[in-house]
Amino acid sequence: MAAPQVHHLFHAPIADHSFSSDKKTLAVARENNVELYQQSGNKFALSDELKGHEKTVTSVDIAPNSGRIVTCSQDVHSIDRNAYVWEQTPTGWKPTLVLLRINRAATFVRWSPSEQKFAVGSGARVIAVCYFEEENDWWISKHLKKPIRSTITTLAWHPNSVLLAAGSTDSHARVFSSFIKGIDTRPEPSAWGERLPFNTICGEYLNDTAGWIQGVAFSPSGNALAFTGHDSSVTVVYPSAPEQPPRAMLNIATRLLPLNSLIWNGETEIIAAGHDCEPFRFHGDENGWQLAGSLENKAGEARGAREESALNMFRQMDLKGQAQADTKLKSTHQNTVHTIRAHEEANGVVSSFSTSGVDGRVVIWNA
Amino acid sequence: MSQINYRTINIDALDPESSANFPMESLLPATLPQAASASDAANAAAQVRQMLRGGDPEGALRTVLDTAPLGGDDRAKEVHLATVIDVLQGIRQGEMTRILEGVCSGDGGAERADCLMKYLYKGMSSAAPGSGTQTPKKPVSPQDTGFSQIQARNLGEGGGGQQMSVLLSWHERLVEIAGTGSIVRVMTDRRTV
Amino acid sequence: MSQSLRPYLQAVRSSLTAALTISNFASQTSERHNCPEVEANSSPEILLNPLHISRNENEKVKIEPSYNSVRISIRIKQADEIEHILVHKFTRFLTQRAESFFILRRKPVEGYDISFLITNFHTEKMLTHKLIDFVIEFMEEVDKEISEMKLFLNARARFVAESFLTPFD
Repeated sequence: MAAPQVHHLFHAPIADHSFSSDKKTLAVARENNVELYQQSGNKFALSDELKGHEKTVTSVDIAPNSGRIVTCSQDVHSIDRNAYVWEQTPTGWKPTLVLLRINRAATFVRWSPSEQKFAVGSGARVIAVCYFEEENDWWISKHLKKPIRSTITTLAWHPNSVLLAAGSTDSHARVFSSFIKGIDTRPEPSAWGERLPFNTICGEYLNDTAGWIQGVAFSPSGNALAFTGHDSSVTVVYPSAPEQPPRAMLNIATRLLPLNSLIWNGETEIIAAGHDCEPFRFHGDENGWQLAGSLENKAGEARGAREESALNMFRQMDLKGQAQADTKLKSTHQNTVHTIRAHEEANGVVSSFSTSGVDGRVVIWNA
Repeated sequence: MSQINYRTINIDALDPESSANFPMESLLPATLPQAASASDAANAAAQVRQMLRGGDPEGALRTVLDTAPLGGDDRAKEVHLATVIDVLQGIRQGEMTRILEGVCSGDGGAERADCLMKYLYKGMSSAAPGSGTQTPKKPVSPQDTGFSQIQARNLGEGGGGQQMSVLLSWHERLVEIAGTGSIVRVMTDRRTV
Repeated sequence: MSQSLRPYLQAVRSSLTAALTISNFASQTSERHNCPEVEANSSPEILLNPLHISRNENEKVKIEPSYNSVRISIRIKQADEIEHILVHKFTRFLTQRAESFFILRRKPVEGYDISFLITNFHTEKMLTHKLIDFVIEFMEEVDKEISEMKLFLNARARFVAESFLTPFD
């Protein structure tokens, strides 16, 4: 297995990252700005900055086909300022305001696969589904409100661009319909639902051990939903039919620290990463899932690069209950991983994926 | 009426839409067992003690964790906690790891591990009296006698040290088996024991 | 080194590792705010169940986790009045200089002698496991410090007494 490609961009947390479809441009959310990096050789160099937000940018997403970038942040202003759509013009990136109509921080944004809409999660207990209105030349939004009881932390689109999965700090993962007349084509009936007017709740799931939901993802076919929560578990839901309890809801409680983000690789594999600073692989199907192991290749690294006296070692073990004191983690990421995204994929099978985290690194892994 | 100081009223508490009034019961899963009463807990305790006397500590631990009153009232939880601590104290140091491995494997093993972890933390919080508030200092002799130190020698370890060290060594062994994930679930799980 | 100190510190370490899984969170009650939720205490679902670890009645740690911050309160061993006074002076010395300690809370939580407040901004700038090391080290150092100070105080008292009593020789 080839070693992961590490790009250490700066010493600050990366809230979110996104690659353009040609993988040459990388957008990362750094504090109040979004920085654009261009690939040159096997490095990424800073090429542009998108300035406009006044508080921490929480999420960024590049639409693969149109190349438009949507960003959102924690700031709230008398006029809405917490989301922008950026378009490349000959004179540089031009921001367009989005009328979100939310009065709390925006936490998460993703383009729908059709790129006609995007959804913004917020601390105002709503999800704003935004679409472009030609006559006003303006992005406007419709709110998914009920029955969200707390901050939305994460979102994921179904391949049909109508269903939207959302995770929240009220420990529920939900599937909504975000059907907008005139924008969306009527979706095929599926196990999630047949008629799907806006704000239909197609599923609402809670783990026994609760825990804030940190990451959600639909399987490539859209017929299964996986979510990970702050209870260090991954749950996979297979819906049966509209309005029916799910066919199977499988919870994998791990011995790890909580996982923040996950992606599917085909229908039988999930890759997730989080506070353990390394990605983990899960295998399974409707009959059961299990943790397959870490993707980090630690075998090659010799332990105990530093010589320590036996006395010191025993003293460390005795006094602090630890075997070794060092300031460098053995994982590639040196701090919590926030986002994991498919990098290169074909027909739902991921051949490489990228992660970014608090340590200012973007890492590209071979799946 | 005119005495009310309107500035000190917490208006968030009065607004049903406010996030301060988050419905915590919405975090409890639908599978929560029926509320157990104190007498149920006492019955379970009798059964478990029987097993412990009969020389089946593994079975006793397994049963006591499977019958945890997750949905019970405070009294039932108290009784059950005492039972769990009895079982834990009744198992010898050398046997801990073997028994834990047995209890935490098989069907529902992960749930039992999480449940035991909850009891370890609960045991450590409740056995120390007044964990939330400062306990009044032990009656120490007046300063001017100069004898306080001589007496204090015996107090050095404080009360409850014996029970705590049992819980702490269980904690250490359980973390080895169930990992930190189990501690994380103690924090997130709203089905308290 | 007492028998139960190692498992005690081990328990604190693993509990802290589990609790310090915090990330950025903007307040959902007041707009344009981003404050430690464990202190703001404005939305109950953002707080998790607190963890207690105790070695005995006099030595315990309370960990209160939330989405973006963790509050750690330590009760330091105090066996007698002198130790009580020493602990009080010692913690007061530290808390009055709380700005330069970053994670130190100015006021301890009720029932405890000293409290730390670790937020997501601390775990972003500093290594989480090093922060945990710091807390553990603090816990053992403070015990050592207190008993040393007590010994010193006794030696001094003996010396003073001796010099007072010399004239009667």
